[in-house]
Amino acid sequence: MTAASTDRAAGPGPDHPDNPDPDEAQRAIEYCYSRGWSDGLPLVPVSQPLLEQFLATTDKDPGEVIGSLEQVGRDVDVRLAAVNAAMAGCEPEYFPVVLAAFEALMRERAARGGGFQSTSGPSPLIVVNGPVRKELGFNTAGGAFGPGFRPNATIPRAIGLLVRNGFGIHPHVLEQATQGLPGRWQVCIAENEEESPWEPLAENGGVPGGVSAVSATLTRTMEFVDNRHTPDHEDVLRDLRDTISRVGSQIFPQSSVALVLCPEHAQMFASAGLSKQDVQNWLLERCGRTGAELSSMGKAEVARKSLRGEYEGDEAFHRFLAGPASIPVIVAGAKNAAISMVVRIFGEWSGTSVPVVEKK
Amino acid sequence: MPNAILDPTGTVTSSSAARPAAPRAPRLASLRGKRVGLLINTKQNARPFLEEVGRLLAEKYGVTLSERVKVNFAVPEPENVIKELAAENDVVITGVGDCGSCSAAAAADGVVLEAAGVPVAAIITDSFIPTADAMAALRGAPGYQYATTAHPVAVLTPDKVRERAAQVLDDVVALLVDGGNTGKAEA
Repeated sequence: MTAASTDRAAGPGPDHPDNPDPDEAQRAIEYCYSRGWSDGLPLVPVSQPLLEQFLATTDKDPGEVIGSLEQVGRDVDVRLAAVNAAMAGCEPEYFPVVLAAFEALMRERAARGGGFQSTSGPSPLIVVNGPVRKELGFNTAGGAFGPGFRPNATIPRAIGLLVRNGFGIHPHVLEQATQGLPGRWQVCIAENEEESPWEPLAENGGVPGGVSAVSATLTRTMEFVDNRHTPDHEDVLRDLRDTISRVGSQIFPQSSVALVLCPEHAQMFASAGLSKQDVQNWLLERCGRTGAELSSMGKAEVARKSLRGEYEGDEAFHRFLAGPASIPVIVAGAKNAAISMVVRIFGEWSGTSVPVVEKK
Repeated sequence: MPNAILDPTGTVTSSSAARPAAPRAPRLASLRGKRVGLLINTKQNARPFLEEVGRLLAEKYGVTLSERVKVNFAVPEPENVIKELAAENDVVITGVGDCGSCSAAAAADGVVLEAAGVPVAAIITDSFIPTADAMAALRGAPGYQYATTAHPVAVLTPDKVRERAAQVLDDVVALLVDGGNTGKAEA
């Protein structure tokens, strides 16, 4: 629990004359609904003074353009990001993280190239590293995918509202998701660096350890691998391989997954002497299917060397993952059970992380 | 001064979409002997679909055909490609818009090419009418006309693709020439 929410819990009693007027609050919330701004849940109505608190957390100019989607002809600037972040329920202090998350996401080719409009309906996967996790009260332990923690819940929502309101991409109109996924605009995990045996993800993305940073990509769904009884780390790798090698999510010759390992699995691999890169390389070589298997499921086009390449043949083993960038490894969750998550990436992670820049 | 609730929505600002009403190209009197550009968006069956439309137009009107593959199916073509398409063709046929981003992109390409003076027939599957309409409006061409075919196209066999191409042909012609389908007048 953050300091701010503790203060609020200890605030004046229900009959205190300074308590806000719920009828007025409800009118303001309904007004926001009536304007079509909401993702379906209540919004925080934003006033100029609240906006100014957000803008005061960054040195960036309110008019600085921080994202453009040429195909819809819209730019998003710092001010608009601040209004949507406030509306999403962020505290002003979260705003530098929102800005870093948005910058990281807009580095994704799939996000710029129509991902927000796509029938696949992907969600951002946002990963936070560094001291900002503790300073802002991110959940870095159990229940990593939520809910229950304000920064983890509101920062991805801010991004979703920014896409809706800033870029003007609304469901059934410019947004054409067939089914989407549960938790769209809700996936923000803070890496459990304290119990990870390895370097943080941001370091893989080029930001040195100990610096607060955000990494982001798009995901179409995720699936757990519950494997808590074997003492043999290769058994766990084989179990991960089995899940990664499913055919349903393969639509192109190469695909990409984020591996969100629980501390127990990560520590098991590290105890066996494996680095992150060793885990990646083990899986890179083994995740895939034969041409015959893919063809039997109507996916012969997956079994090609490249998008326009030739079919590799029925007997050939077709690898799904192209390289280490196709399988970022993150450690998150509690050290209380050996349950990890295979997160399907839409496109490929840019491989870069964005430092969180607070006001000087 | 009242304490207003702030508006979180953006406005259309980027150069390519900020233009006011996008002009529609003048229609042709006839397709007879014209240059038809096929802008193929790489989606499954888009190539055989457009090639069959082209083949039928060549058979019926003696058009000459050229093909071009979209740089990226999900977004509108860059300006230099639009210029080249406009210079090299009397009309352009594009498609098949059968996904969220590519149907919108087909409509956007159509609006921009029309503004460059080239009549366009964009072909979109009927599942994506709302997104194509929204994109056209965003590009300054509300009510923009295009041809539709039933969704899905990607799973059709070669025979069915040819059948569909034949079915949409009259609508394609009607989009490109004055007074709609001139098939009878030409016959």
